[in-house]
Amino acid sequence: MITLTADIVRSTNKKLTMPTLTIDNQTITVPEGKTILEAAEALGIVVPHFCYHKDLGAVGSCRMCAVTVHTGPMPGLKMACLIPVEEGMVVTTGDDASATFRERVGEWLMLNHPHDCPVCDEGGECQLQEMTISSGHGIRRYKGDKGTYTNQDLGPYVAQEMNRCIQCYRCARTYKDYCGGRDFGVMGSRNRVFFGRFKDGMLESDFSGNLVDVCPTGVFTDRTFRFKSRSWDLEQADSVCPHCAVGCATIPGGRLRELQRVCSGDNPQVNASFICDRGRFGSGYASHPERPRQARHKDQNISVEDALTLLESQIRTAVQQHGPEAVLLLGSDRASLETNWLLQRTAKHFGCRVPVLNAHARRHQTAQIAAFDFSDRLASLEDVRNSDLVLVFGVDPLAEAPLLALALRQMVRKQGRVLLYDPRPVELPCEFDHQAFSPAGLQELLENGGVEGRHLRDLLGQAQRPVIVAGADLLGPLGLQSLHAWASGASNAERSCQVYPVLAGANSFGTALLSLPEQDDLLTRLESGKVKALICVETDPLLEAPHGERFSAALAQVDNLVVMDYLPTPLSTNAGLFIPTCPPVEDSGTFINNEGRLRRFRQVIKPGLSLARTGAGEHPSREFTLITPGGDPLPAALVLQRLIRQEQELSELHRHLAEDQPRLKELPTITPGAPGKRVKPAVTRPQKTDKLPEQPAGTFQLVVSPARYGSDLFSRFAAKLAPRLTSTRLYLHPDDLFERGLKDGEKAVVETDFGSFRLTVASRPGMAAGCALVENNGDCPQLIPGAGLSYCHIAPGGADE
Amino acid sequence: MHVVRGIRGTLQPFWVTLRNMFRKPVTVQYPEEKQQLPERYRARLILTRDPDGAERCVACHLCSAACPVDCISMQAVEAEDGRRYAAWFRINFTRCIFCGLCTEACPTLAIQVTADFELAGRDLLKLVYEKEDLLVDHCGTNSNYNFYRQSGIGVSAPRGRNPGEAPPADVKDLMP
Ligand code: SF4
Ligand code: SF4
Ligand code: SF4
Ligand code: SF4
Ligand code: FES
Repeated sequence: MITLTADIVRSTNKKLTMPTLTIDNQTITVPEGKTILEAAEALGIVVPHFCYHKDLGAVGSCRMCAVTVHTGPMPGLKMACLIPVEEGMVVTTGDDASATFRERVGEWLMLNHPHDCPVCDEGGECQLQEMTISSGHGIRRYKGDKGTYTNQDLGPYVAQEMNRCIQCYRCARTYKDYCGGRDFGVMGSRNRVFFGRFKDGMLESDFSGNLVDVCPTGVFTDRTFRFKSRSWDLEQADSVCPHCAVGCATIPGGRLRELQRVCSGDNPQVNASFICDRGRFGSGYASHPERPRQARHKDQNISVEDALTLLESQIRTAVQQHGPEAVLLLGSDRASLETNWLLQRTAKHFGCRVPVLNAHARRHQTAQIAAFDFSDRLASLEDVRNSDLVLVFGVDPLAEAPLLALALRQMVRKQGRVLLYDPRPVELPCEFDHQAFSPAGLQELLENGGVEGRHLRDLLGQAQRPVIVAGADLLGPLGLQSLHAWASGASNAERSCQVYPVLAGANSFGTALLSLPEQDDLLTRLESGKVKALICVETDPLLEAPHGERFSAALAQVDNLVVMDYLPTPLSTNAGLFIPTCPPVEDSGTFINNEGRLRRFRQVIKPGLSLARTGAGEHPSREFTLITPGGDPLPAALVLQRLIRQEQELSELHRHLAEDQPRLKELPTITPGAPGKRVKPAVTRPQKTDKLPEQPAGTFQLVVSPARYGSDLFSRFAAKLAPRLTSTRLYLHPDDLFERGLKDGEKAVVETDFGSFRLTVASRPGMAAGCALVENNGDCPQLIPGAGLSYCHIAPGGADE
Repeated sequence: MHVVRGIRGTLQPFWVTLRNMFRKPVTVQYPEEKQQLPERYRARLILTRDPDGAERCVACHLCSAACPVDCISMQAVEAEDGRRYAAWFRINFTRCIFCGLCTEACPTLAIQVTADFELAGRDLLKLVYEKEDLLVDHCGTNSNYNFYRQSGIGVSAPRGRNPGEAPPADVKDLMP
């Protein structure tokens, strides 16, 4: 007898009854409200099905899941996905009546199938293939004509082959209902039902790639992966998306040393079974043609061993001659927890000062508030989905944490309410109330509140399961601290008000947790002039932290610049000593996401130049060697371990790490693919305050927002995302535009603390007045989000030459 | 009894040898003389063409999945007209055991066996056959079959015009 634990208990305080039923002579107890199909699945009994999906529910449209119910007032053939379990129910799945019924269903679903499995990308992981076989249908009897459709061009990401459709409606339910997309749906009547757009064109939703995962047949396939591999040939492993700090479960797949696609993994606490298009189609960085794969000293290619020997002597000499300050190790929020911790160990080993784990000082401070102050009230995305009131401060979910936008939509679908305060013209795939507050106005609201603030706090107090979403980049340490007060004020004995912080990098939380709160930042230490060797591990402060010019100037005093990275960043090209490392898909490690959840990922492919690029002419090379071309890169964690000559298994490393950091006690028990456990709440709390600068007259508040695509470094080096990139504009409120005598489409010069830029202006009615909004992407790499409140001057930029 | 059996056991082999000494030998003086093999003998593999002269193989990877020794590899690509074909296709005949499972798996009848078993050599690399070495310009057996005419994906005929297909549905039609 098996008992299925309730995973939805939190949403109701009612005591759940647990009916017991019998399926195929096996007894099981499940929470009330579960269906026969789910109960059978828990017993390991496979009932063929199409339209039922774990996260979409059932609609009973495919009729595949027939079983026979022998009890109750109306015994007989039932759809297992629709019938809730009842106490004492007796069900059989293999009896003649239901088996014959399912075989007939399999037969009619195949009536119009084009029999093109050999050229279909779904082949090998096709639910239609599996269910047809398991239903028992084999030989076609129908002699009439097959119905056909004309396909649509749905853009560069999703390919459509409509003849394969079995009308399960999963696509429309995903795209429209779950993801809130508006440009795709079902059309037609009777046997002409068609799933697509009204007109040809690129799917607009930022979650369009999910069609590929949910369609149980080959109608929707990944166009970027078209004909590249069969699923059984792929090397796949449970991984974590590195594109933002949500930490979605992904299953990347590679073949012939090339990362070819990314599918959604399943994490009920985080992303359920969906991911965004940035995570799915942004994988090009691993096989980027310019990815540095060779260790280099000055302009000489050297072996990694030689590079390590050289590095060791450089560090030792610097420490001996100039003391522990002379070597600065720099970690990164896109490097794994293990790598960052090993940096600390390396510093200890060589007797240098503690490393700086994030080049972006302010983001680091903010992340520390999240990692320490909020640690006992962190919400998961599942909590957001089940909440009834979410207050969002300073976050544009689609740009900063796309899956958060989906979670918000799910709570709105359950009658929840979203109130959003942000200077940007935020769009969400659901209904929400947006108040465009400028950054300074937002700080004011959080600190003093006023009428609006009191009203919001009242709402929080009345809500059953309130969650505050806090944007770290825009609010900064000060804003987050105010929100901490809000959250504690709104908590009571029955329930606490939870907080979902939105951080910047995949491992921002991890780097924040590892480092000591009172610590000098990168620029302070560099500008002290004491640093002789700077070792940057998987980070480029020029692209990932503000004040690149100060960084470059300080670099002049550094004798040795050592870079370890896997991206062709400007810094890695200029390094005196360069050691190639591996991106997360070629490494095993851990990230800690926004919600403080330890997320393990496992190596998917081994480093090396893809076969397509080493082959000469028509086919792969006919020379056989034991050396993998381009196979030099090693995971950064391994490089550091070799440097200090302490190579350990990952499990051993985790044990040490957990001993060193009591909050990471669970680390050794986390497995890839599992939901992952939370870090332990913090004992100490950092206190940081930053004063807001005064606004000079005639200036605008500068709002730098990450672009939806091309802001994080991974997607900047992902060619597949090119069709989604937008060119940089200077967005202003129409009133401001008018006041400055500017018109939409004209050029303007913005003078900021980070340089001046000549950009095309665009008016955005939905944004806060008095703000100048610029998106960070490849065009404006100097403008980094999260640099704190600053002001800018705007002047007309004249006509184009 | 033992004695009788012993004597018979000693003499019988001599008798068998004697009897066969004057028969015509079944072995031939290979390689000077060649053996005529049965038509359905399983040896070197070929990639055949469809009756319209196009490559039959659609690079579906089923043969490589079926192959027990993993000696087939390929890469599929798409042609202008939507046809899926193999950009490269490689069989490593140093590994092939001529079991014929690949031909059984092939849904397009592209990969077929021939009776050419003479695949010995000192240079192993010469036995790694590429697509150009495998592709022949005939249909092999089943000279009528063209996969693209049987499957409804609009490559050899426009969509909805293959045998047994209705014309594409007008999805904006609301007639019952
Ligand atoms: S396109 Fe796919 S998901 Fe949509 S109804 Fe058809 S089979 Fe189902
Ligand atoms: S929401 Fe973030 S972590 Fe999830 S798939 Fe998108 S980019 Fe990746
Ligand atoms: S004949 Fe057998 S061993 Fe040879 S390629 Fe085909 S499946 Fe592989
Ligand atoms: S099974 Fe046939 S069609 Fe498929 S790849 Fe092999 S030879 Fe080509
Ligand atoms: S899964 Fe039950 S009817 Fe489709």
